[in-house]
Amino acid sequence: MQRLLSPWPVSWSRQQRSSATMASSAVLLIVILWLLATPLSWAPAPIGNNAQLFADGTRITVELTIVSGIAGVLLGVLAALGKVSRVLPLRWIASFYVWVMRGTPLLVQVLFVYFALPEIHPLLRMEEFTAASVALALNVGAYNAEAIRAGLLAVPKGQIEAARSLGLNRWFTFVDVTFPQAFKIALPPLVNNIVALLKDSSLAFTIGVVELTNAGSQVKSTSFQAVPVFITTAIIYLVLTTVMTQISDAVERRFDVEGKLA
Amino acid sequence: MTSPLITVDKVNKYFGPAHVLRDVSTHFNVGEVAVIIGASGSGKSTLLRTLNRLEKHDSGRIVVDGIEVTDDHKQLDALRAEVGMVFQQFNLFPHLTVLENVMLAPRRVRKTPREEAEKKARELLERVGLKDHAHKHPFALSGGQQQRVAIARALAMQPRVMLFDEPTSALDPEMVKEVLDVMKQLARSGMTMIVVTHEMGFAREVGDRILFFDQGCIAQDAPPEAFFGAQQNERIRAFIGQIAH
Repeated sequence: MQRLLSPWPVSWSRQQRSSATMASSAVLLIVILWLLATPLSWAPAPIGNNAQLFADGTRITVELTIVSGIAGVLLGVLAALGKVSRVLPLRWIASFYVWVMRGTPLLVQVLFVYFALPEIHPLLRMEEFTAASVALALNVGAYNAEAIRAGLLAVPKGQIEAARSLGLNRWFTFVDVTFPQAFKIALPPLVNNIVALLKDSSLAFTIGVVELTNAGSQVKSTSFQAVPVFITTAIIYLVLTTVMTQISDAVERRFDVEGKLA
Repeated sequence: MTSPLITVDKVNKYFGPAHVLRDVSTHFNVGEVAVIIGASGSGKSTLLRTLNRLEKHDSGRIVVDGIEVTDDHKQLDALRAEVGMVFQQFNLFPHLTVLENVMLAPRRVRKTPREEAEKKARELLERVGLKDHAHKHPFALSGGQQQRVAIARALAMQPRVMLFDEPTSALDPEMVKEVLDVMKQLARSGMTMIVVTHEMGFAREVGDRILFFDQGCIAQDAPPEAFFGAQQNERIRAFIGQIAH
């Protein structure tokens, strides 16, 4: 599967191959989203006649994943910094956040953001898509925080000492030395979290977002044909996670200066 | 040779209950090569690390080039920019190329434009005999080559003084010489150097002063001829004997 989408000439450098894979996978993802309805429409009923519904649901699923994925990585970085901070209240806040988000079901979090927050304050009323994105971002952010914290802690102390002894201030030490190394270490678990996020976005179904699972479910209710509907749904998820893994794999290769990956 | 660049005045340092520096007072002069030797755990590396605040001293005063070593961040960053340090474990940045390792601090701290920083970095790499390795990553270099890059990286900041913390202790024997040769060349160029090492040959040949550390104190501070020649101190004689074999 790894090589399937990266048929680049052997003469290309690691960076070139990695960039090419990232670019081609991103293009592939856009093409899938754009044209998905066409191949689906060739399928027999109940898939063919509902092709557009599946295609729209897929687009919503990808949008949910991208929006909450980006927000979740930013939240993860902030919470990880909070957890390793020297300022005690920041450590408390970050630990509390991670504790609550990891210790309660995502489904409860989605329902809470959508139904409970508006009752606490009317300004917290959100549309379904926004509410789902917020809950997913907060949830994945907590898991990302732990991945990034592990990365930060894995950077040897000597690296920071070397940077500081050169006169780099704390900001440049973090940006130029600590973070790039921590991010490389955190990348595999981060990818894990994002793949999980793509699948968990199906919980947005419960507050009425018509994402891929919801679309499949609707088709099943009208056609009463569960087998082809859910096989199609599952295959689309599988295609999406495969493309995503392809991109993250290329990112990992880009950072692999030591050639540890075969 | 006489104006003190670094003054250490009654410095104490504790690690928990261990009293690792006991009322240490000395000074290091411009252009001088001071070699610090002593058994492991005697406090020699700790003293070196207090000079640029990698370790915080508990009492006493340290003044480097007119700047007192305190917790003031701005002052500390300015001080560290003037004090180069070379570590036992090299501590090169593994995600950057050799050239980027050398260019990073001048670009960030001195705000040197890229072309100028690169030109200077290439000169320094040539000086340590590594100009053909500029685009490699540290993992692709031998220990001796990595340590020479680390020296070039520290020199890129044009420091007033260079601290060496056991720079050859992590190296295979055949690579020690190439690093010592670079250090000797640096000493001859007039650089102020403070070197913690077990290399007695280097100490004797290059050192202007030998400081012998024992249990957190400077037990002796003497020119190399006196130190290695007619050594009166029984304990130091035994130490030199052990190291030489």
